[in-house]
Parts: sequence; C-alpha cells; structure tokens
Amino acid sequence: MTLLPLTEPVLLILLSLAEQPRHGYSILKDVEEMSDGRVTLSTGTLYGALRRLLDERWIERFEEEDSSRGRQAYRLTPAGRRNLQLEVSRLKQLTQVANLRVARKEL
Amino acid sequence: MLFLYHCLLYFYPASYRLEYGSEMTGVFRDLHGEKMHEGLSARVAFYVGELAGLVHGALQEQTRAIAGSHPSIPFSPRGFLMRSEFRFPKTVPVLMAIILAGVILAIEKATAVQASLPHSNPQLPPIQPEHFTFFPAMALIFFSAYAVAVIGWVVVFALRKSGVQRLSDIAPRN
Repeated sequence: MTLLPLTEPVLLILLSLAEQPRHGYSILKDVEEMSDGRVTLSTGTLYGALRRLLDERWIERFEEEDSSRGRQAYRLTPAGRRNLQLEVSRLKQLTQVANLRVARKEL
Repeated sequence: MLFLYHCLLYFYPASYRLEYGSEMTGVFRDLHGEKMHEGLSARVAFYVGELAGLVHGALQEQTRAIAGSHPSIPFSPRGFLMRSEFRFPKTVPVLMAIILAGVILAIEKATAVQASLPHSNPQLPPIQPEHFTFFPAMALIFFSAYAVAVIGWVVVFALRKSGVQRLSDIAPRN
C-alpha cells in the first residue's frame, strides 16, 4: 500500500487498465484521452510507474494473443483493482465534501 | 532521434534497461512516428517531455538501485521498508582481513627499518624497537575495529535473514 495516495498519472494508468489489458502505447493514448489532453505521459514516467505497480503487484504482465510486434501488455491484479476502488471511493467522498463546502459558501 | 533515445536509456541501471528498454524504445518509436506529422512546436514539446521524463526516471531508478528502496519514500511513516535486494556485502570481511594483514605487514617492516637505521642525533638516545609502542597500539586498534565489525556484520546478517524468512512466511494478501 506504499503507493497510496495515488498521484494523478498513476491513477490514470490504473483507470486505463481497469477497462482492459493494454500495452504501453495504448496506455499513453488512453491517459491523454481521459484527461482531455491535459496529462501527457512520457515513456520514462510511464515505465517508472509501471515498474512500481508491478513491484507492488497491483498490475501484472499479460500475454496477448497477437504478440507479433513484441509489445508487452499489462492488466490489473485483483489487489490492484481493490486498491483502485478504495482510491476512487476516497476521491468520491472528498468530492462530496468539497461540493458541500463550496455550496455552503455560495449561499 | 531514436539513436539518441537509445543512448539516453544507458542512464538507467542495466537491469531496468534489460527489462523495459526495448519496450520503451518501441513506444517511443510509435510516438515519434506520430509526432512527425505534427507541427514543430508539438515535436519540440514532445522531445523536451521525453528528455525530462528519461532524466527524471533514470535518476529515480539509479537512486533506487543504490538505496535498495523507492527514492520517494526513503523514510516511510509506516516504518522501514525491508527489501530483499538490501544486502550486506559478503566480501567486506575478506577485504577487511586483507587490509588488516597489509597494515600488520607494513608495521612489521617499518619496525625492522627503524631498528636497522643508524642513530643520527647523538644528543638523543636511540629508540629501541621494543619501547616503540605506536605501531602495536595501532595494530591493536585495527584488530579491535575488525573484530567489532565482524561481530556487527554477523548480528546484522542474522537479523536480516530471520526477518526475510519471517516475511516470506507471510502469505500474500491478494
């Protein structure tokens, strides 16, 4: 649990892998799309994060059927999915509190 | 540009490069090919971002390789992180023994040379080798330090080993 609380790039990487297994290039593109082009990961940042997530066993390597280009895919482990759900719940609760506070100030 | 990227990967530790180097190069190749159709400013931003990411990543991985733990959490509030790659080098006692033997040999030689030299100042009595206590004292200090270091190493090694064994007995949570 040393990765918690998650940084934005790591959260986006995990969200990208939550849907389906992906390889590096696909993760980069999905992260860019999810953040409306606001977050653009470099390969150094991406693979540093993937290495840490592999170390913590939040993700694992996944053998694709079509591995003709030698690209390595990654997918979430059950532990990774559980931790992602916890983090999303935490953010949801934080957003609710933030909304209440902002609404109170506006009244 | 691909060649330069490949060269920059050499800033990473060898193990990391072997594991992720080809994948990183492949992704960079795809991105580079895509950026070639975009404007100059987009390409410059891409190159700057990649360079910064590589330098930052290489620094992190090198620090991790040296420290044996993640650099962003060197002193975790949850306690010290015991990593399997953190090992006390087994060659240290051997090297220390060699250095100690060299020091003792040098002391013996120096004592012999001291004894064989003619006395140059007639007003002072000659220094007798058996009364010259500096070198034996130094030898004693070196020997004591060596003994303390060996005992310390044995204690640390025993603690580390038992700790790792206990950790390996714990079943993973997932």
